[in-house]
Amino acid sequence: MKKIFKHVALLVVCQMGGATPGWCADVVDELSLEDLTKTEITSVARKTQNLASVPAAAFVISSDDIARSGALALPDVLRMVPGIEVAQIDNGRYAVTARGFNGRFANKLQVLVDGRSIYHQTFSGVMWEHDVIALNDIERIEVIRGPGAAIWGVNAVNGVINIISKHSAQQSGGFVETTIGTQGKLGLYGRYGGALDENTTWRASVQGRHAEPSKQFATGTDSEDRLESTLLDMRLDHRLGGGSDLALWFNATRSALGDLIRVPVLPGGVLAENSRQSDASQVLAGRYRWLTAAGIESSLQLSLNSSSIELEKYFREERKTYDLDYQGRYTFAAHDLLWGISHRTSSSSAQTPGSLISLRNHDVTQRTSGVFVQDDWTLIPEKLQLGLGARWDNTNIGGSTFAPSATLIWTPSRVDTLWAKYARAPRMPSQGENNVTMLTNFQPGGAVFTRVVAGTQILRAEKMEGLELGYRTQLSSGFNIDASVYRYRYSDRISSTQGAFLLGPPTIVELNICNCSAGWVSGAELSADWQVLPVWRLQLSYAWTRIQMDEAADAAVQADGKHTEQSTPHHHGSLRSQWNIAPDRQFDAWLRASGGYQRLNAPYTDMVKVPGYLTLDLRYAHKLGKDLEVVLSGRNLIGPSRIEYVSDYVASVPVKVGPSVFLSTRWKF
Amino acid sequence: MAARWLSLSWRLLLLLLLALQPWSHACAQANNESQLKAAYLVNFLKYVDWPEATPTATICLFGRDTLGGYLAPYEARSIAGRELRIRRVTGPDQMGDCQLLFIPDNEEARYGAVLRWVERLPVLTVSDAEIFTRQGGAIALVRAEGRLQFDINVVAVSAAGLKPSSQLMRLARVVVGATK
Repeated sequence: MKKIFKHVALLVVCQMGGATPGWCADVVDELSLEDLTKTEITSVARKTQNLASVPAAAFVISSDDIARSGALALPDVLRMVPGIEVAQIDNGRYAVTARGFNGRFANKLQVLVDGRSIYHQTFSGVMWEHDVIALNDIERIEVIRGPGAAIWGVNAVNGVINIISKHSAQQSGGFVETTIGTQGKLGLYGRYGGALDENTTWRASVQGRHAEPSKQFATGTDSEDRLESTLLDMRLDHRLGGGSDLALWFNATRSALGDLIRVPVLPGGVLAENSRQSDASQVLAGRYRWLTAAGIESSLQLSLNSSSIELEKYFREERKTYDLDYQGRYTFAAHDLLWGISHRTSSSSAQTPGSLISLRNHDVTQRTSGVFVQDDWTLIPEKLQLGLGARWDNTNIGGSTFAPSATLIWTPSRVDTLWAKYARAPRMPSQGENNVTMLTNFQPGGAVFTRVVAGTQILRAEKMEGLELGYRTQLSSGFNIDASVYRYRYSDRISSTQGAFLLGPPTIVELNICNCSAGWVSGAELSADWQVLPVWRLQLSYAWTRIQMDEAADAAVQADGKHTEQSTPHHHGSLRSQWNIAPDRQFDAWLRASGGYQRLNAPYTDMVKVPGYLTLDLRYAHKLGKDLEVVLSGRNLIGPSRIEYVSDYVASVPVKVGPSVFLSTRWKF
Repeated sequence: MAARWLSLSWRLLLLLLLALQPWSHACAQANNESQLKAAYLVNFLKYVDWPEATPTATICLFGRDTLGGYLAPYEARSIAGRELRIRRVTGPDQMGDCQLLFIPDNEEARYGAVLRWVERLPVLTVSDAEIFTRQGGAIALVRAEGRLQFDINVVAVSAAGLKPSSQLMRLARVVVGATK
């Protein structure tokens, strides 16, 4: 009996390891070339594998991961990354950050689509309600937590998200996906691509999404967050030979999303006003990559963007942005040298119809130029690499910034990687912080308002400096672990000090925006990827985050520091399971959890608890024939309906995040 | 008592895992895509003739290491009479010792530059992106019909001074540059 169990245990162990150690491996490597061409793939390559040689806390989301996440919106896909905090506000709005300081206008994360930043200068953040790219057109998303300013520039403070679209040569033919779900959710995506000649391919996609309003959390009645979002995206790739190519993109988006905002009004009342938000943007971008005779790789990218935002009754902005970006790379001896120059001019013109918000300057032109250089120097081939980099940026608003970084990566064996990174990163004050004066809160009692005032001090860039360590290992060919720890110091962080007291009515306490806050952020992240069986994969991610702000003499700065500390969940994580039942059937499950935290209950000054949660998403996909697939998915299937976030700066009425079910058909032709 | 429980639950767990696993093809079906890619790279060494006989055959992995862990078990084995070596490479100076150079698909932007480094060297270039053979690379591993197959660019193979076996040509999904 014991013997049998020993044998069984051996078998199971061999299965657990994805079957490389010992005799299982022999089966694969004894296969002849002919056998290999006939073997079916039961589990696709893990993109996380690609990171063994990256000296940063990096994570790659593949197009397969996106499809199997069951998510309809980009922020929901990002939930799988350890250390990325995603909180849904309503049908379209999300608060997304890396390693702390989350907010509706979270402002320390850089997000790029094919190398162009989608970071909005008014808020210093990303408007996630705006679909910038269809999930179906994404090849992969590379997420780097931690400072990336030495290459990516100002605002790549606590993370960089790089979205890379599919090459048009990969997307020939037609594809249509329709989605119908609860809460009136409808989705349509269509794509067609082809080749103009041997060297030129193109692809055009359209996407539309609709959702009926969510329910208000407090009352259960309809909110105003009806979502309508459309997107047109085109890409053309032309190969010039000799290592040169040309790519052109055109992207146009329109979206409308309602909002129910709690506005403080006299005397001491709150008016829930609905305000429809309309966004539009057009982007034209081109990239030329070439190779010189000496072997220097160059890439020149130009993009033109015109966009508008309207928050009905409060705010309207038109903006034009020009971006020019050059990057060069030369690999010689033990060096891999990367350098670049960039320039951005962004001109905006804004109006604020109501009395809630006022602007110091209605027309603003911001010019930012930067240069960077980065060298990865192999000290011991295959073992030890040193990376040194620095970037300098200058803007006409906020002055100059300097961001150095140093990394060391040691690979003691084929499967182990240890890395350390030191970096500094600046964040330029947003135009909002420089410009916007706004009534935000009541003081207790209701008759006294708080007004946040811009322009009483000239703002500098926020600074961050920190150290992180990481370790990656492959325990067996089917089991990978990636861990990182970090500690960052933030200084000159933008907050607000107690200002003038204006006796009313209305009585107003002014808070002056300033570079007056500082603090520490520490954390640890773990991800594990386990191919349990050839057809079954488990992925775990976990993050622990802690913010400690310095004690401040000023009461307002002190209070803001305490709010910041309390509004970060200490723990969040997820466990994903991907099971290929058969070549034509997949069953996926995703358990997600977050600790609770406190948020300011704007427009009041008390704090409310955002409870922790544990929830489950399920997805079942069935291929009917070669070209048709039907997918049934459910999100937030367990646990009570909840709030994930309470919006403070623009005090939207919290809505329920609850269970939803979708049916999609995917047809290729 | 506790020990007995432990042993019983351990056995139950084993049985559960056993029940979950597809018995009939227990180990034979360990066809993880990355393992298949590694197996292909090793196999290509057997189906291509290099102009010079060397005592070692070296597979060089460029850029972000995607297959190192999967190739490790093959290291130091004898492949077609030569001892197999695996190396990570980052720059042009390291290409001299390579018989086979693997450039992963996420380095697509650098295909042109890296292919230039091995121009006129007897190096078989392989990637796992379909467009690779059209960019001047020799072999592309392609996921098609649920299997991992390969395309071959005969112009690139012969420009490197290599001779592909007839079997290699026969098994290729697409042969680029054959009729022209």
